[in-house]
Amino acid sequence: MIPNWMQNSPTPFSSILVANRGEIAVRIIHAAKEAGLRGIAVYSDSDINSLHAEIADESIHLPGKTLSETYLNIEAIISAAKSSGAEAVHPGYGFLSERANFARKVSDAGLVWIGPSPESIEVMGDKISARKKMIDFGVPIIPGEELVITNSQNYMEPLAAAAARVGYPLLLKASAGGGGKGMRAVYEPKLLKNQYEAASREAAAAFGDGTVYVERLLSKSRHIEIQVLCDKHGNSIHLNERDCSLQRRHQKVIEETPCLILSDELRQSMGKSAIIAAKSVNYIGAGTVEFLLSTKGEFFFLEMNTRLQVEHPITELVTGIDIVQKQFEIAAGMELGIIQEEININGHSIEARIYAENPSNGFLPATGILSKWDTPSSPGVRIDSGFREGDKITVDFDPMLAKLIVHSSSREAAIRRLDTALSDFIALGVITNIGFLKDVINDNAFSNGMVTTDFLDNAPDELFSEAAIDPSHLIAIASSAQKLGLDKINYDQKNYVLSDDYNGHGSDPFRTLSRNFP
Amino acid sequence: MEWSIGDDEKRYTTDMVDVGGNLEMTFLKSDEEIISIPNISISRDSKSDRLWINIMGKSQLAHVVKVKDSWWIHLNGRIHVVKSHEIGSAKSKHNEGSLVAPMPGTIIEILVKEGQKVRQGQTLMVMEAMKMEHKIQSPKDGEVSLISNKVGQRVDMGAILVEITE
Repeated sequence: MIPNWMQNSPTPFSSILVANRGEIAVRIIHAAKEAGLRGIAVYSDSDINSLHAEIADESIHLPGKTLSETYLNIEAIISAAKSSGAEAVHPGYGFLSERANFARKVSDAGLVWIGPSPESIEVMGDKISARKKMIDFGVPIIPGEELVITNSQNYMEPLAAAAARVGYPLLLKASAGGGGKGMRAVYEPKLLKNQYEAASREAAAAFGDGTVYVERLLSKSRHIEIQVLCDKHGNSIHLNERDCSLQRRHQKVIEETPCLILSDELRQSMGKSAIIAAKSVNYIGAGTVEFLLSTKGEFFFLEMNTRLQVEHPITELVTGIDIVQKQFEIAAGMELGIIQEEININGHSIEARIYAENPSNGFLPATGILSKWDTPSSPGVRIDSGFREGDKITVDFDPMLAKLIVHSSSREAAIRRLDTALSDFIALGVITNIGFLKDVINDNAFSNGMVTTDFLDNAPDELFSEAAIDPSHLIAIASSAQKLGLDKINYDQKNYVLSDDYNGHGSDPFRTLSRNFP
Repeated sequence: MEWSIGDDEKRYTTDMVDVGGNLEMTFLKSDEEIISIPNISISRDSKSDRLWINIMGKSQLAHVVKVKDSWWIHLNGRIHVVKSHEIGSAKSKHNEGSLVAPMPGTIIEILVKEGQKVRQGQTLMVMEAMKMEHKIQSPKDGEVSLISNKVGQRVDMGAILVEITE
């Protein structure tokens, strides 16, 4: 059934298939249910008991062992949409979200595509054509050149020549890369060969395309991105910036909005450029235009992500706009119904990404079972996660366990709120970066708002080591837990222990417990 | 039972004695050296995955869970791992020359052969996990005496990858 709010729209739909997994599938399925739409999940063998499949109104199994047989399988996902009676498809982020071919096939199958046109995805998905477009429309770009390497035998000569023209230090990027994959910094010519090989191998493994782009590396810059929303009626607005400068190997770790050092003038100027970038490809839906902001206050177009971003929640908290709901409305052909002047900045929001990884061991991914998973909950704290207690963390997928998002009246208050929430985040059984995140946000560079994209590369080793604690406290706890046999108590016995001092008023919630109050 | 904390190999022994239902720490030793300790006692909680630690009259709640040989502890906003060992068991599982997989993943490239001389810091193989590459580098100068895997093979964390002899 078409929900009331969508009744009069040009392309209404009553159900959405989410072609994704993990926290973003959970987020979108929740949003669909809230909007009165049926949320349909797809899942592979390893996700058979996962949260996104559990909460969906219907879940379709994708047979096969590899990603290309499951979450990257366009035919299987479209046939899942057909068989479940889905009328729209939301791709989430990653996986097929930026495959023009997928967008095209979804539309060809008579389904509503919740995203931009295949043409927009194509232009922005290729760094070279995106760059050309930006030049044509007057959006500033970083110096760099494309390198099409077809003959793997003789790539060093043209590569070295292009690198010399662009200038060191430089960045090698796989044209079809993203999310830090297939991207390498090269500081001097002698490292070029090795880094190129690693970048092209990584890109081939992750995206099936080895073409490389050579670009000047701007040091001490910030990664500032602008969220845009464009409807099918020609209305476009931006929802201000996100500062995502705190990165590890080009992977975002902490994001915040607003950016401490951005003047309102610069904000409006970047916002305008972002809208021009979106309009240059007739963009429809929610998208993000990423810029590098130099120390001199110049900004350069990096790329446009033609999909929902991982860090979209901080924008939602500060602007009060539900971006996923807006995606639904735009896909249904409705007008934005909001103008630029109505977009406010209410307080400050920060997101910390909780990863299963070991900061004191080079951020190597960690695996295991989330034996205890108790996430913080208090005013101004939001958790977006696809996991729950007892879930197994494997190497099959990205190591992000959760997004911890806080909102408060000021940046200082938001940092304190995040610090407290990280302290209350109980994740046992899998090594996480929680302690590291605490150290980072308590570092002077972060509290002063001075973090640039190279911060973690140059940070002192202490930042990555475990916090010191009196060993006697930990040994006392472990030794006592062992002595008391806490590991041997199963769930039945647990309940027994509980009911022991709970004198049997279980069925009557209004009776007080038989306790001696002081 | 001996204990170690996190990646630190230092071993501790202790005894917790039942005093009126609480457990009190009587001593803490590391390598036969007595470590001075404050008054520490541990009391139970109504939930079996929590304990109270009382230090000098101040109480704090600790969340605990055992996974294999380790107790995972959430205390005072931080997460710690305390490993249990049989008394006198070897400190390190492997001899110094073996390189173990620092993470579970797939071997995507092997750059050396058995019998080859390598320098400290030289990349021996490349592993991939969660779509990211990690280089396995030689910790010292020496000769490759063993390569345990082939390209494309999936290995568990801690699996021996290469052995280097001086």
